Amino acid sequence: MADDKDVLRDVWFGRIPTCFTLNQDEVTEREAEPYYLLLPRVSYLTLVTDKVKKHFLKVMKQEDMEEMWFEYEGTPLKWHYPIGVLFDLHASNTVLPWSITVHFKNFPDRDLLRCPSHSVIEAHFMSSIKEADALKHKSQVVNDMQKKDHKQLWMGLQNDKFDQFWAMNRKLMEYPTEEGGFRYIPFRIYQTMSDRPFIQKLFRPVSPEGNTHTLGSLLKEMYPAAIPNEGQQKRYQVVIHGIEPLLETPLQWLSEHLSHPDNFLHICIVRRLDEPPSPSCLLVFPTVTSAP
Amino acid sequence: MAALTVKPFAVIAESAGQAERSSRVLAPMGGGRSLETWKRHIVRQLKDRDLSQHLKYQDLFRFYTRLLEKTSLAKGMLSCSVRHPSTNSSTISSLLHQNNQLQKTMGELAYQVVELQHQIKIKESVLEEQHTRLGEQERQFTGVFYACQELQEQVEQVQGENKELKREYDAVLERQRGAETRLREEKVREGHLLEDMILLKKQAAARLNCRNERRSRARDANLQKQLQGAARSKVTVNIESSSSARTSGSTSLKKENQDQDSTERRHTRLFRSASATSPRILTSIRELFDRKRRGHSVCSLEEDLMCPVRICLSARVPARALQMLDAHEQGINAVRFSSSSDMVATGGTDRVIKLWEVRTGSLTHKATLDGSTEGITCIEFDPTGYKILAASYDKSALLWQRDDSVPKLTLTGHSRKVTAARFSSSPHQVVTGSADRTVRLWDLHRAACVQEVEVASFCSDLVCCANCIISGHYDSKIRIWDSRAASCVQELPAQGKVTSLDLSTDHRKLLSCCRDDCLQLVDLRMWSNDRMCFRAEGFKCGSDSTKAVISPDSCFLAAGSADGSIYIWNASTSSLEARLPDKHSSSISAVSWSLSGEYVVSVDKSRRAVLWSDI
Repeated sequence: MADDKDVLRDVWFGRIPTCFTLNQDEVTEREAEPYYLLLPRVSYLTLVTDKVKKHFLKVMKQEDMEEMWFEYEGTPLKWHYPIGVLFDLHASNTVLPWSITVHFKNFPDRDLLRCPSHSVIEAHFMSSIKEADALKHKSQVVNDMQKKDHKQLWMGLQNDKFDQFWAMNRKLMEYPTEEGGFRYIPFRIYQTMSDRPFIQKLFRPVSPEGNTHTLGSLLKEMYPAAIPNEGQQKRYQVVIHGIEPLLETPLQWLSEHLSHPDNFLHICIVRRLDEPPSPSCLLVFPTVTSAP
Repeated sequence: MAALTVKPFAVIAESAGQAERSSRVLAPMGGGRSLETWKRHIVRQLKDRDLSQHLKYQDLFRFYTRLLEKTSLAKGMLSCSVRHPSTNSSTISSLLHQNNQLQKTMGELAYQVVELQHQIKIKESVLEEQHTRLGEQERQFTGVFYACQELQEQVEQVQGENKELKREYDAVLERQRGAETRLREEKVREGHLLEDMILLKKQAAARLNCRNERRSRARDANLQKQLQGAARSKVTVNIESSSSARTSGSTSLKKENQDQDSTERRHTRLFRSASATSPRILTSIRELFDRKRRGHSVCSLEEDLMCPVRICLSARVPARALQMLDAHEQGINAVRFSSSSDMVATGGTDRVIKLWEVRTGSLTHKATLDGSTEGITCIEFDPTGYKILAASYDKSALLWQRDDSVPKLTLTGHSRKVTAARFSSSPHQVVTGSADRTVRLWDLHRAACVQEVEVASFCSDLVCCANCIISGHYDSKIRIWDSRAASCVQELPAQGKVTSLDLSTDHRKLLSCCRDDCLQLVDLRMWSNDRMCFRAEGFKCGSDSTKAVISPDSCFLAAGSADGSIYIWNASTSSLEARLPDKHSSSISAVSWSLSGEYVVSVDKSRRAVLWSDI
């Protein structure tokens, strides 16, 4: 159990070293120094980048400032995904520190939501928690909470207070022992390869026969491609919080311990970098090589 | 070639797959170990992640941020200094302004520094004070500690002493027990001895009786013999001799009897003294006490015996005030000489009776009798002068011994104020008259009312002579009652409300004082309406209870007037004998003439008492 508590702690205090550089196109009075920051994995970009904004303000004129947005290698970063998800999804195999470009102009309204204030983040965060609890307990737990309890959850996240957050979040992670888990596991499976932003379906932690569902069984149903076939090289990494749990890890335990503060289990499926060429590639490759 | 290169890879992949499969198979079987595996895997991976992503960069980033801040600061300063020469005119003023501001802030800061130093000083002084207080407290504590130790030592010492005492006490107790058992033994022995002694005494008494009887029988026989002898002898007819002989014989006989009696008495006394240890002596002592106690009762035999009859031959008309004094704290209602003329009692509204000794023409305060809860209306001495009877506004009559300030008896029963209380002619009886229109007869032995007579009117005063009670009323009537039958014998009319009655010492004449400013003298022997009236110019009856008196030789009448003068009339001529003015300032309420005829005392409503005499 002590291990479980350590896992929670490690998940909470996970950090990503990030280097913010100003976009070349921005009009500056003088050269902007890059800004380095350790971003908490479980938080949101717009919640922790006030310092960044302040830093770049020094070299810019007030009138040139519009809403700040971030971009990594041409991909606008959605602030409403947790930072850890963004990193795992887009930059899991990059060289650290993670280099993010900061923009103050040309806000990509097609790709990003605007975030005028922290209350917007709070609303998004709370709605995620409520959605997750609707899946887990038919919203019973979150509805029994008082306004101040909700506030405590949010303030815990905002001020990076682990104990404050988990004192309340513990209730959301309880379940009746006779059922062996939540009603449904709140999860989202992200991938860069498709147009769908993520996969989210109803999935129970225990099968109708009474067997415990594992990460593997979830993926088998939701994204069979992620599971390497017999004798095949692994093509995809299944990354949660920057790590790859074993496929036999029970899903219920994962949901309890590796969920983000919004109570969702965010699973990223990333193509392996040292992936050997895919079968099709293999087929193509020799042809290419044989061509000359 | 490609196949070759691929083959080992595939083998490795297969072996990895097998390993994975085997672990997957293991999962449901050996739950504990496999559970550990995936969890350990996660923990380890998290640690690795943190190491590579977090810890490595942590310090670097911190230093970088600090450097960044420094450089920006430096840059700012640099830009300031750089800008200075370029834009001279505009920036000088701004610089001056800045300088001013800086100076101002410096001043403020200096002031703050001073203030803070001051605060520090204050804090230090407070600290010092607290230190000293702490030291003091510690000193006190050590003092208290020592005191505590001392006390504990004392406690131990006292406990030791207590133990010692307890031991001693136990020893004493033991000794006492021994002594008690010895005492008991002694008592038993004493009882035995006593019994033996009594037996011996009884035997001795029986012997004595036996001897006495024998002796008396012998004497009887002797006498018989002598008588027979005498009868046989011839009698000479000589009366003288025979009578003398007889007397001599009788005297001798008497003597013999006396002798015998004395011997007998001696014997009995002997017997008594011998049995002094018997419980009879206790009873005799108790009897002694009983008699003594009875002696204290209200009507003891001795007191009743001492009843002197005093007669005055000639009263002297007072002419001069010997003494004036404010005898009470409030108005005086009553005054009375004792029958031995050496004592005067005054009673007033201030609820006490004061006794005054009359000696060589002055009054000396002797005693104060209290016990009444309201004012005193009337006082009387009994013939012996030892008991004082008073009537009171508190609906009771009270009886005192002269030497005791606490009332001996309180006679309660009247429903309104008692106006008059007199000793009756029969011993141990008292008569009272009250405003509740009753006259009551009280028995002093029982301290109870024995007779109650209802009268038509308010009784203001009464006097008693042999077997009759004479009462004066507000309905202008004087009634004479037979005290045995409790019936009205006669009614005498008066001119107005009767305020007081007085009887001459020979019980022949009755003086009444009325509200119509007239005194009446009636000869009781005449049973007629024949009477003498006494009036005087200026005489005015002051109140409903003004008391007038007859002189002890029945030659004069005295009464006090509302104008503060005393008027004295000659009883036989009904002319005014004397008028004594100017000593009283208010209405005189009562006058008393001493039985010796020597003094008159008058009292008034303004606390004053005056002693008059002729010298």
